[in-house]
Amino acid sequence: MKAKSLQERVEHLLPAVTKPGRYVGGELNQVVKPWESVQTHVALVFPDIYDLGQANLGIAILYDLLNQRVDVAAERAFAPWVDMEAAMRDAGIPLFSLENKRPLADFEIIGVSLPYETLYTNFLNILDLSKIPLYSKDREAQHPLVIAGGQAVFNPEPVASFVDAFVIGEGEEAALDIVDAHQAWVESGGSRQDLLLRLAQIPGVYVPALVKVDYHPDGKIKTIEPADSRVKLPVVKRILAKLPPPLSRFLVPNVEVVHERVSIEIMRGCTRGCRFCHAGMVNRPIRERAAIEVMEALTAGLDQTGYEEVSLLSLSSSDHSEIIPLIESLRELLTQRQVDISLPSLRIESFSDELMDGLQSLSPGGGFTIAPEAGTERMRNIINKPLRDAELMDTVRSVFEHGWKSLKLYFMIGHPQETLSDVEAIADICKRVLHEGRQIAGGRVRVHAGVSTFIPKPHTPFQWAAFDDPAAIDAKLALLKDALRGSKIKMTWNDPRASLLEAWLSRGDRRIAPVIERAWRKGARFDAWGDQFRFEHWESAFAECGLDPDFYSFRERDLDEVLPWDHINVGVRKSFLQEDYRLSLSGGVRPDCRDQCYACGILTAFSELRLAQPGGGWKCP
Amino acid sequence: MPVNAHPLGISRIRVVYAKRDALRFTGHLDLQRLWERLLRRSKLPLRYTQGYHPRARLNLASALPLGFISDEELLDFWMDEWLPLPEIQQRLTAVAPPGLEIYSVQQVDMGENALQVQMKASEFVVSFYDPQDILELNHQVEQLLNQTTITITRRKKTYNLRPLILDLETATAPDDAAILRMRLKAEAGATGRPDDLLETLGYPNTAYLVRRTQLLLN
Repeated sequence: MKAKSLQERVEHLLPAVTKPGRYVGGELNQVVKPWESVQTHVALVFPDIYDLGQANLGIAILYDLLNQRVDVAAERAFAPWVDMEAAMRDAGIPLFSLENKRPLADFEIIGVSLPYETLYTNFLNILDLSKIPLYSKDREAQHPLVIAGGQAVFNPEPVASFVDAFVIGEGEEAALDIVDAHQAWVESGGSRQDLLLRLAQIPGVYVPALVKVDYHPDGKIKTIEPADSRVKLPVVKRILAKLPPPLSRFLVPNVEVVHERVSIEIMRGCTRGCRFCHAGMVNRPIRERAAIEVMEALTAGLDQTGYEEVSLLSLSSSDHSEIIPLIESLRELLTQRQVDISLPSLRIESFSDELMDGLQSLSPGGGFTIAPEAGTERMRNIINKPLRDAELMDTVRSVFEHGWKSLKLYFMIGHPQETLSDVEAIADICKRVLHEGRQIAGGRVRVHAGVSTFIPKPHTPFQWAAFDDPAAIDAKLALLKDALRGSKIKMTWNDPRASLLEAWLSRGDRRIAPVIERAWRKGARFDAWGDQFRFEHWESAFAECGLDPDFYSFRERDLDEVLPWDHINVGVRKSFLQEDYRLSLSGGVRPDCRDQCYACGILTAFSELRLAQPGGGWKCP
Repeated sequence: MPVNAHPLGISRIRVVYAKRDALRFTGHLDLQRLWERLLRRSKLPLRYTQGYHPRARLNLASALPLGFISDEELLDFWMDEWLPLPEIQQRLTAVAPPGLEIYSVQQVDMGENALQVQMKASEFVVSFYDPQDILELNHQVEQLLNQTTITITRRKKTYNLRPLILDLETATAPDDAAILRMRLKAEAGATGRPDDLLETLGYPNTAYLVRRTQLLLN
C-alpha cells in the first residue's frame, strides 16, 4: 500500500478535532506556489490558534509582500489547539504549513510574530512540534533560520536564546532584506555563523548570539557588548519613512475568526506620550496615511473580500489630521454598501461635536468606549494622560446627548504612586457617569468599567517602576467591587496573576529563557487564555531555575542601572525617559507633542531617513 | 426577461454547486457567511433584509455535516433586478473560493416553498480510508437493516435512525474498493446522518469520507 502523504494523514484525523477548518487552508486569496518553483520558502507563524492569527494584520502584510516576490513562497502556520496538538503528537505528525502542507522544518526561514509575551510558550511548542531545536545554539546548517518580530520583542532578551535573529521595529522592508541575505548566503556556501553575521549587518536586525551579556553577582546586568567586532551596538529599530500602500488583498477565512473585516492602519505611532504606554513610545514617529489612500484601500478590500465590516486601526484615531473628512467618506461608503464600521482608540480630549455627530451616524445602536485610565486628576497627571474631571464629564454628557446608550470606561490600577483614594475615585467616576447618563438618556443606559493592572514596560518612562504588590492589587480590586456593588455598573477585570506573568516576562533578561522552557515542559501554553493559564507552572519553573521572580516584577530599578534592553534603540533616548519619569514624580505633564517637541530623540535618530524620503506624513513639529 | 418574472424585477435564483477540498471542513453556519460574502463580491443586485445589520437574503437547502464533501448542494438567493442567467453564473464563478464549484443557476418561482421545506432525502456514498471486505460489509448492512429500531444519541437527544434509512447498500468503486451507498430521509425534524449510521456499524469518523451525491426535493 502506498504511504499516505502528510496531507492525507492530517485530513484523516481532522474529523476528530474541534474546528478542523483551522488546519486546512484553502481560503479565497490564499497564495499557493509550486514548492520547487521558488528559491526561498518562508513560514509565517503566529503562535496562537488560527482564529486569532489569521486576523493578525502584521502576518497578512508580510504574507502579501513576500508572496509578491517570484523567488519566494510565504506560507502560514499557527498553533494547533490542545486537542489537535495531542492528535498530532499521537500520530507523529509535525507542524505543517497551510498552503503546501509542508513540515515547518522544510522551510529555509521561519518568521514568528510575537506581539505579546504570553505567546512565548506557544512559540517553543511550535518549534518542538516542528522538530526544530529550541535553542539557537543547537541548530545546524539543515535547520531553518528562526526569525522573530513584533511588539513584545522590543525587549528581545527573554526569548533571545531561542531566536536566531530578531527584527526590531517595522518588518516590511527588513523581511525582504533577510530573504536577500539568506539567498546570498546560500550562494556563498558559508557556515551558519556566516549567515548570522550577514543578518547582523541589516538595519534593525539583532542577532543575540553575537552579543554578550555579563551580570553582577546580584543579578543586575554589568555589560552588554558585541561578541564579534563586526557587530555594532545599539541595534537601532527599523522604521519606514513613509507607510506603504495599505494591504487590500485579504485572505477570507472559511471558518470564523476573531475579526472578519477589512482592517486599514490609518496612522502609525502616537504623540500623546502616556507614560505607561509601550506602543506609544516604541512606535514613534507618527506617520499618517492620507484619507483618500485609506478610502481606496477600504473599497478595494471590500471588493476583494465581500466583508461586512471595516476597521480603521491606529493608536489614537481621533488624532488623525483628516479624521472629519475620513468619517464623512466612511458615511458615504456606509450608504453605498451595507457595512459596519469600527473606529477604535478615540481620545477624550479630541472629541468635537462634529466628530460625535459623524461617529453616531456610522454606528447607530453601537456602544462608545473611552479610556480615562485613572480616577483622579492627580493620577492622570502622573501617567501623563492629563484630563480634568470636568472635561471627562463634558465628554460623557456629549456621548449620551448624541444618542449612545452604552458607555465603556477603561481604567488601570497599580499605577506608580497610586493610593486607595485614587482607586475609590474610579468607582465615583463610574457612578457619576451612570447618573449623568440616566439624566440625559434614561433608564436604559449601561455603563461598563474595564479594569486592568498596570504593567511596567520596557522603553517607557515607567520602565524603572515596580509592579504593584499582589496584596495591594487584590485590595484595590476588592474596594472597587465593593464600591460598585448594587450600582448596576458592570465591572470586568484582568486576572492579576496573568498580569504578574506579563510583568516578569516583559522586563526579563536572558536568564528567563530556561524558566520559559521549564514552564513549557510542565505544560504551560496558551498563557493568554484564561482557561489554559497555569500560574503554578511558572512559579515552580522559577523556583527550579533558582531565579527570584520578584527581582523582575517588584523591584524598582535604579535610574542608572543597565537594563536588559539597553542595546535596543527605539529612537527614544534613555535620558528622555529618565527625565520624564522624574517629571512624573512631581506630577508634571507633557501634552501632545504634535504641538510642542520635547526632544524624545526620534527626530535625531531618523533625521537622515526623513530627509531622504520626504512626504511621509510625519507629525513631528 | 422571462415570462414568470416579478413585475418589479425581483427574482429568486437557485444555484447548484459542489463543495469539496478544504471547504469540507467549513460547517453550515460558516458556509452561510461564506455565501453571503461570495454574493457581495459578485456585486449582483442582492435583496437585503432590513435592520441595523442588513444581510443578503439567502437560503441553503440542507446542512452538510462537517467533513463531508458534496457533488450537489442547493442555494436560493434573491435579487432586486433581473439579469441574464449566464451573467449571474459567470459573476458567481469569478468570485467563488477554492473548493466551491458553481454548476448551474436557474430562476425559480417566487412562490416556491423554502428549500429546507422542500427537502425529502439525501443520497451519500461512503469510501473507507482502509480497504474493507465487501462480504463483511454486506453482512453488517444486512444485520443493520434487519433491526426495527436503531437508537442514536446525539447531543443528549435520542432518535430512531432505522425509519430514516430509505436505502442502504454496498457497492464497488472503480478501483474495486468496497463502498457504501445510502439514501437517508432529510425532512424537518427527521434527518438521518450517515456518520450516526457508520458509528453504529463501528466506524469512527476518522475512518471514512462521505460524499453527498444528490438532494431529493418534493
